[in-house]
Amino acid sequence: MHQVIYIEEVIADHPRTLSICARFPKATIVYCKHYGEIFNRKGQNFRLQKQKPALILANKYKNLVLDAPDGYGIGGQRNYYFSHMLNCPYDCRYCFLQGMYRSANYIIFVNYEDFQQSIIDTANQHPNEALWFFSGYDCDSLAYEPVTEFTKAFLPTFRQLPNAHLELRTKSVQIRTLLKSEPIDNCVVAYSFTPEVISQALEHGVPSVEKRIEAMVKLQQHGWKLGLRFDPMVYQEGFEQLYQQLFEQLFSRLSTDSIHSVSLGTLRTPKAFHQNMANLYPEEKLFAGRFEENRGMITYQKELEEQMTRFCYDQLMQYIPQSLFFACTPAEKP
Amino acid sequence: MINIITALPCEARALIDHYRLQGNRRHNAFRCYQNDELQLIISGVGKIAAAIATTFLAASAPQRCSAWLNLGIAGHPHKPVGEPLFAHKIIDAATAQSFYPGIILSPPCPTAPLTTVDTPEQHYRENTMVDMEASGFYAAASRFQSCELIHSLKIISDNQAHSTDHITEKTVTAFIADNLNTIDAIITALQPLAVQLENTKQPPAELYAFMERWRFTAYQQNELRLLLRRWHALALDIPPDPRDFTDYKNGKAILIAIKDHLDAQPIRFEQASH
Repeated sequence: MHQVIYIEEVIADHPRTLSICARFPKATIVYCKHYGEIFNRKGQNFRLQKQKPALILANKYKNLVLDAPDGYGIGGQRNYYFSHMLNCPYDCRYCFLQGMYRSANYIIFVNYEDFQQSIIDTANQHPNEALWFFSGYDCDSLAYEPVTEFTKAFLPTFRQLPNAHLELRTKSVQIRTLLKSEPIDNCVVAYSFTPEVISQALEHGVPSVEKRIEAMVKLQQHGWKLGLRFDPMVYQEGFEQLYQQLFEQLFSRLSTDSIHSVSLGTLRTPKAFHQNMANLYPEEKLFAGRFEENRGMITYQKELEEQMTRFCYDQLMQYIPQSLFFACTPAEKP
Repeated sequence: MINIITALPCEARALIDHYRLQGNRRHNAFRCYQNDELQLIISGVGKIAAAIATTFLAASAPQRCSAWLNLGIAGHPHKPVGEPLFAHKIIDAATAQSFYPGIILSPPCPTAPLTTVDTPEQHYRENTMVDMEASGFYAAASRFQSCELIHSLKIISDNQAHSTDHITEKTVTAFIADNLNTIDAIITALQPLAVQLENTKQPPAELYAFMERWRFTAYQQNELRLLLRRWHALALDIPPDPRDFTDYKNGKAILIAIKDHLDAQPIRFEQASH
């Protein structure tokens, strides 16, 4: 429940603004000229705000569709991301958003139609190529569905664009809209996992591993293509057993026929973001691990990274064919 | 520490009595009062006076666990006289600049926008409180503290039905006195937030003990701080103690030894307690 909703004056009467506000009848409405006045200002604390985040409703004017970062892909020739929302109801301690943004308030850009047009234009520019659009880069794709109605609005767009693929990346069990919709071939619902003990320690507010698997099973039964994302892999002593258990738990319930892709990625954060995150949560064990700086990124020590990747890859190969596997690793630069 | 800024002595009076604040004779630029948890400064009228007083208070003593509260009276076109309103937006009328206090606490009273004007106005502005200090206070306080810990609470002193002619020092003191519960609730909510923020900024307790024993360059002091912080985050059974490192001759060797020790520790997550 949001106590305060900030609204850009320009979208005060937008139908989506009105319907979102109707969900929070007790919230104080505060009008602003531009969301940056609240979201980007100096002198705010992400950790304090995370305790009671405000909602900001805004209009996105440009850069609606962006090139996905290096290493962020699942086999497509061209990868893009778009963010109808910034920030997330979950509170994962490794999430780079808490190091990137000054504010923990949630922004919803209500002009979905402009995002959709931008996606259509991008797809039309490359009619003979398979394009991937990632929606869960700056937020969880499904976690705020009851408020945003994001999938309800965007699935029809992708349904009419055969060369454009959508990845919904999530840890959420808000799948009602998906279960009410006919599955589409060019959409993958990708769930992120860490082993339960790590999830409980670091992924605050996230549904349990079991709950997420239950949601995946329902989606599988309904015919949706599924993705599994082990990104980031988080180290703890005895990680081998924990990840082994997690894979067993997942693949005993999920059919490989419904799995579109599986990806692995190591914990990696731009140095400035990592420092911000560690300063916000100095008592956090995650940041007390054995890290090193590698080309401006903070990562686990290389040997440890390789050990984790090799182990998890070998384990996954017992369950899935190689063709479903993708490594979320930026290409080595000379 | 909660820092309270009021414009007038009559706004401060009820607070001084209620919180048993003692006059601080060290300062002669402003009248200041304090107890162990609160500091109050009387700024005088106007946003520049409020900004100067805020800066003066911030600079006059190290600010630990500080939150900032601007208290006073304001006009409003139709809100009843005596009603407390918590500002959710502060607008400087002269520059049209807006400030947005970060509302993490649950305000114990209704909220409203607050417009700060440079000179008293004859007519009320639509749907906003009007005062003469808040924008100066906020602009200054936000240099020293995070927006979640800077707020303004105003008691409505006049409206279209009750003009400013009725305002006397006595009524102003009574307005504040009648709303002490609300003020108290805000202060009580701000204190733990301020402590929480301060805790994340505190250097590890052992830092100075290490620095007394060995010489560290500024860069090494920062390294040491981060290593000791890491030590605590690992929740090891044995806390860092300079006496365990007496074999090492200089700061550089200490840093290497601590890092090696920490790198050798296992990482094991437990279920979060919250």
